[in-house]
This record gives sequence, structure tokens and C-alpha cells, in this order.
Amino acid sequence: MKKLFAVVKKEYKVIVKKKSFIIMTVLTPVLMAGMMFVPVMLMKMGRTDKKIAVADYAGGYTQALSAKPQAGKAEKKGGFDMDAMDEQQGAEAAGRISFQQVEPAGRDAAALIKDYEQRVLKKEIDGLLLIPVDVKETRQVSYYSTSVSDFTTIKFIESTLRTAISKQLLLEKRIDPAVVDEATREISMETFKVKKEGTTKSDSGMDYMMSLFMIVILFMILINYGQMIMRGVLEEKTSRISELLIASARATQIFYGKLLGIGLAGLTQVGLWIILGAVLVSRFSGMVDSAILSFLTPEIAVYFVIFFILGFFVYAIPYAFIGAAVNTDQEAQQFASVLSVLIIVPYILGISAIQNPNSTLTMVASLFPLFTPILMFMRITTALPPLWQIATSIGLCVLTIWGLAWLGAKIFRVGMLMYGKKPSLGEMLRWVRYK
Amino acid sequence: MSELALSLQDLVKDFDGKRAVDGISFSVRKGEILGLLGPNGAGKTTTMRMVMDIIAPDAGRVEILGEKFSEAVKDRIGYLPEERGLYRKLKVMDTLLFFGELKGMKAALVRERGRALLQQFQLQGYEEKKVEELSKGMAQKLQFIVTILHDPELLILDEPFSGLDPLNIELVKDIILERKRQGRTIIYSTHLMEYAEKTVDALVMIDNGRKVIDGTLAAVKAEYGHKFIRVQYEGDARFVKDLPYVRSWRDSGREMEVELDDLSRREQLLRDLLGRVAVNGFALSEPSLQNIFIRKVQKGAGA
Repeated sequence: MKKLFAVVKKEYKVIVKKKSFIIMTVLTPVLMAGMMFVPVMLMKMGRTDKKIAVADYAGGYTQALSAKPQAGKAEKKGGFDMDAMDEQQGAEAAGRISFQQVEPAGRDAAALIKDYEQRVLKKEIDGLLLIPVDVKETRQVSYYSTSVSDFTTIKFIESTLRTAISKQLLLEKRIDPAVVDEATREISMETFKVKKEGTTKSDSGMDYMMSLFMIVILFMILINYGQMIMRGVLEEKTSRISELLIASARATQIFYGKLLGIGLAGLTQVGLWIILGAVLVSRFSGMVDSAILSFLTPEIAVYFVIFFILGFFVYAIPYAFIGAAVNTDQEAQQFASVLSVLIIVPYILGISAIQNPNSTLTMVASLFPLFTPILMFMRITTALPPLWQIATSIGLCVLTIWGLAWLGAKIFRVGMLMYGKKPSLGEMLRWVRYK
Repeated sequence: MSELALSLQDLVKDFDGKRAVDGISFSVRKGEILGLLGPNGAGKTTTMRMVMDIIAPDAGRVEILGEKFSEAVKDRIGYLPEERGLYRKLKVMDTLLFFGELKGMKAALVRERGRALLQQFQLQGYEEKKVEELSKGMAQKLQFIVTILHDPELLILDEPFSGLDPLNIELVKDIILERKRQGRTIIYSTHLMEYAEKTVDALVMIDNGRKVIDGTLAAVKAEYGHKFIRVQYEGDARFVKDLPYVRSWRDSGREMEVELDDLSRREQLLRDLLGRVAVNGFALSEPSLQNIFIRKVQKGAGA
């Protein structure tokens, strides 16, 4: 036990004192905070970015486009507001567009288009909107721009024009203008997330981003700490330290000590992130949207820790196998890239399944121990799965880790003292039976 | 209490069908320095690794400090592997702390003894330097400190002099002798027999995985008697090896070592030399271990 502790202490100290550890520990919460604040700021700064020329042959529509609310809720509140990111996106987009009336008087549409095509290419303007005289009948307008995939802008133009035409038609039928206004009023949608603990006002865009962000972090640290173990074991082999270690302590003490020491270092980092994150969020709670606050619950933090620990052991032990089995960095990297596929698969599955976390495929895959740490965590952050599924996945993971740890200690013992020769798979199987 | 620090019985180890160690037996008394001698590839390292339970013997038994090898006994042994290595990124004192604690020492004791040893090896002031910043010689010294840090009853050193400069060879030799004076047992292997000659109490010579000579230094030397003459000369002395009373002849160009059938023939040899070469020196000599080994191996091959 004392020897195990000596190994744990050494491994832990080495990592925690590393510059990269300190930098990552501080930088990640800062990046996270940045992710929360920067989009809003960018949106505010980039507000008057777009200039669209409107060739309004029908007349009156430019005013309608310009008259539509020019700023989202954010401006009205006078602060950072993440709500602006989703349901208010249309209005936000409008805030960034300035419409300029082009006098079409006497000019042929074809010539005008030709002229403005040049100006679009020269980036003098971002687009040309052509509204024909008979727009009321044909409901056909044309938009010329270098980027026609800007859906928020296009949606905004479409809906504004539709409303304007509807208004006009109704007014022509001599409907009371007050009724017309009432009939064409905008709809705004608020989204609510249904959870066991109670329904909260939520923002699907924000949830998506937060889930994604957490999975990216989990994925990154699992790969990072796995490779750290691999390099550590390989260093002991290439620097010929293994023999000294084996002559001083049991192979299991060294192997488990290494796993625990590096695992604890990882846990320290995760713990510091959670504390730093909590401090940042509470300090700047006024600037953080309620959607983030409702996402970052203590439960999420606890699950993050649980799945980090499970993921760490599930992946670190195979990484340690690689370190013990190979002799050079290049070989290690080759095998490691095979292993990272095993981590990338649940990561990709997770990202693609965020919007539909309850599909059968996701459910089954999240119970597979090698995928559990990332996939089950993703499900928990998006739509809390039944407790029995969480419990089963954790149970299976623990069993897998137990098996891997047993196997790992054996492969470690033999592989550590194997210099120079690349072992075949058959040989590695024989190691398991050795002693 | 057993008088033996180590005993090996009929150790055998095969690697891929090739026999690396072929039935080696010997024992080491407590408080003795034993040299395990032999050329490169003779099986010295394999034997030591089996003693340290790093590789399992295919046959044979090892008894160490009066018991079968166990985890507990590891704390009482200091092992210097042939393949040296330390954590390159670890600081010197942290290195000592890690390996000391791995041997069951308390941190405070490691610091105290570590400092004293660093002083003795002229490494004081390097406590906070990383191992990778040390010169090769310094790293070797640190490795040696790691080996003796926990004051082991039994030191097992695989080629302790390799890679050391002459000054550090003297230093290591002094430390080995100092340990012996404190009643510790030391076993070391080397292919440099002239070093062994000056320190060992007993020796085991192995060649091709087999033991060829075993005994105390005095006994081994006595067995080969004072039948050697060392001659410093100038000229062509090749005729000497064909003289009927010369058993063996080793020439180094300006000095030769001649083994006689009988020491009484030495005057005959001197007479035969005079006139044919210029003799600068002529003396009785003890056989060097190297000579004994070569003779033994050649005889084995001839038989």
C-alpha cells in the first residue's frame, strides 16, 4: 500500500506541476466563458454589416423592410442576452441589415442587375433585392448576392414582404387598419424544456451548444490523459527504468499507482474547472443567460465527474497496454490512432444524436462500455434517460474496467521488460497467461 | 541464521531455444564481495535478473537473504541494472524521494541520507536540477545513489563500472569497499577483470552460460600457482611459444606473460631469451584473472 502510494504521489506531482496542466486548467473555463459572451458581443459589433440594395419596382416595400424591428431584445435590455441567439435571430439579423432604396426609374431591370452584379462582386454592397411591379400577383422577388445561404436574412426578407403584401391586400379590401395590424402581428416562440425536476424555460440552441461543449471537453481530456499514461509507460521502457521499478515493487503496485496518480491529476483538473466555472458564473451571473444557469446544474457537474472517471479508466488502460507493448514513439502513435477511433466513434455519434438523444441506436450504443462515458453523458445533458439505463451503463463500465485492470497489470508486467522486439498479438496473449 | 546472503542452485534459462544460462550454481557468504566475471554475452545479466526475480528461471532455485525471493526482500536489496535509466523530467531530490519511498523509506530519512550521499558523490547543489540537465557521468552517479540509498544488506550491481570515468570508477570502488566494511554483501558483475582483481573476495567466472571457475580470489590464484613470468623486452620473441617447457604464452609486443611447466625452468627461459631479444625486465608474477580465464576457456574448448 505504501509503495502504491509512492507511485501515486510521484505520478500526480509530475503532472500537476507541468506548465501545460496549469495553462489548460486556467484556460478552459476562460474559453468556456468566452463561448458564452463572445457570440453576443460579436452580434452587437457586427450589427450594421449588411447593405442590401432594393430595386423596388412595385414601390413601398423598402420602407416596410426598414421599418421592421431593427434590434432584438438584447438592445432593449441593454445587456448581454443569449436569448437573442435563437428565437430572436430573425430580428437580430434585421438589425444588421441596412436596406437602401435604388431608384429604378426608367431603368431596365436587366441593365440594373448587370450594374449591381459588379457592385456586389466589388463588395460595395452585399446584395440586390429586386421587387417586380407585379409582386402582389406573382409573389416572386429576386435576390442577388455572393452568399445566398444566409437563411436568417432570406427568411427575414420573405416574411417581411409576405406580411407587407398581406397588409396591403387587406387594406385594399377596406379592412380597418387596426384589424389589419392585429391580423399580421408577429408571433414569437418561447421554448421550454421538460425535465423530471420541473419544466424550465430553455433555449434549444443554448442547450445544444452546452452539450456539445461538454462533450468536446470530455473527449479532449480523455484522449489527453490516455496519451499521458501511454507516454509515461513508454518512457519507463525507453529510459530503461522498468527494471528498477520491478526490482523495487510489484508490477501491480506500479501499474495501479500510475493509473490512480494520473487519474487523480485529471480529477483535480476537472474539479478546478467546476470550481472556477462556478465562481465565474456566479460572479457574472448578471451577464449570463438563464438558459446556461439552468443547464449548469450541480447534477451535471456530478455526472461529468462520474463519466470522466469511468472514461479515464476505460481508455487509459488500453493506452497503457500500448505503451507497454511498443518500443518507440512512432509505434505508439500508430496504435494510439487506432484506439482514438474508439473514442471518436461515440463522440461523433454523440454530436449527431444531440438533437435526438432518445433514438434506439443512441440508447443501445450508450450502454456499450467503451461508448458509455461520452454517449451516456451526452444523453444526460440533453434528455435525462431513465435511471435504470444510467445505472446499467455505469455497472457495465465498472465491470469492464475491472477486467481491463486485471489484464492490464499482466500485460504491463511482461511488456515493460520487453525491449527491442515488437510483440505479436499471440505473444501478448501468452503474456496474460504468464505466471 | 544463515551465513549465506545468496545461493543459486542449477539455474537454467532458455531464450528462443538458445540456452543463456546453463545450470549455474554458486553461493555468496554474508559480508563478502563476489565478482561475477565473464565476457559479454556469457549470461551474467540473465543470472542477475533471475536472482532479482525479473525473469523467471526455467529450472533451478534461488535463495536470497535466507529466504525465497519475496516482495518484502526487495527492500533489503539494492539492484543496479545493466540498463541504466531515470525519469528525465524528474528533479534529483524528487528522484531520490520516489525510489526511496518505493523501497519503503520515510521521506525525511530519504532527504537526510540523500543529501549525505549527494555530498559524497560531489552532487551537492543539484537537488533541484532535473535529471536531463545532468551530465552523463553525474546521472550515473545519481543512479548509483538510488541503488544504495536505502542502505541495503545486499547490493547486486550489474556492470557498475561501465560508462564511468577513472575518477568515478575509484569512487564506486571506494563505496563498494565501504559497504563491505559495514558488513554488507556485494555482488557485482564485470567483464573488466582487472578491476575485479583488486576488490573481490570471491569470484565466479562464467562463459557461455556455464560456470568455469568458482572460489575465493586467494584459492583461485593459488590453484594456478606462481608459474608465470613477466618479461619486458624488445625484439622478436615469437620463438618462446615453441619452447618445450612453456605451457602458455601471451604477448603484448613489449611485454609477455609466460607460463612454465615448472617454476624451476625460469632460469632456462632467461638463458634462452638472452642474446635473441633485449630483456628489460624479468619477474615472477601472479596470474591475472584474465589469464586464468582465457586459459580455462581455451582448455575447455580444446578438450
